[in-house]
Amino acid sequence: MQSNKFDTFTISESLILVNEEIETKEKIIKKLGALLFEQGFVKGSFTQAVLDREVVYPTGLKARVTGVAVPHTDTEHVKKSAVAIATLKNPIIFNGMGAPKTEVSVFIVMMLAIHDQKLVIDILRKVILIIEKDEVLKEILAANEPQTIKEIMQKHIKLVSKK
Amino acid sequence: MKKVNIIVVCGSGVAMAMHAAYKLREHLENEKIYDVFIEGTGNNNLAACIDAYDMVVSNAEVTVKTDKPIFSAIPLITGVGEEELVKEIVAKVKEIREKNNNS
Repeated sequence: MQSNKFDTFTISESLILVNEEIETKEKIIKKLGALLFEQGFVKGSFTQAVLDREVVYPTGLKARVTGVAVPHTDTEHVKKSAVAIATLKNPIIFNGMGAPKTEVSVFIVMMLAIHDQKLVIDILRKVILIIEKDEVLKEILAANEPQTIKEIMQKHIKLVSKK
Repeated sequence: MKKVNIIVVCGSGVAMAMHAAYKLREHLENEKIYDVFIEGTGNNNLAACIDAYDMVVSNAEVTVKTDKPIFSAIPLITGVGEEELVKEIVAKVKEIREKNNNS
């Protein structure tokens, strides 16, 4: 079996939801948080901490291709670093990062669970960089299987890791 | 020569600020600007340290009262309007550098 582990964090099919039909940002945060919790990546306090943080510091980002949200919270709520991903059938409204009064129509949610402050840069460099890569976002939106999204992520991460 | 000090600010944590700071450093190096000091911090820490910096780049709403120039960090994360932002920051860095040299 192919390993899901990158050097510092996990991306696996079991943490990816495709074309989810869900109505609110709270619901998708709870759903992705539950996946991370059930699979032992985060503590029980994680999801609530993400929800609380999203109110004060929203994470909706308007990329060229689509809206992407990156809900996350402090390292103290995380046991092992991982990224949980959902693509949405219908867009969900998140508030804009840096501009809480604005609304962003989001089709991709990438929930970041990072357990060590020292890994932050590495993980963000590999994952958040996707938000400005139009072609990668388009591929993710077009994917119909968790496996496909995992492969797209792996390909992108391999590419930026070489630099 | 005195360096131009830039503080990059994130919401509660420092994650996004560190990423934005990394990107900004790359951009400034591409523009051959090396005499800058760039650091990331959380929004809750900004009031305590803002005096030490010449410029703020933030992806959170800046609530601290200051007359220092403030730029949005969002284009560094989304890539939308990134080139324009870098141009503005480069111009501001040069302006501050000029002022430092004359004082």
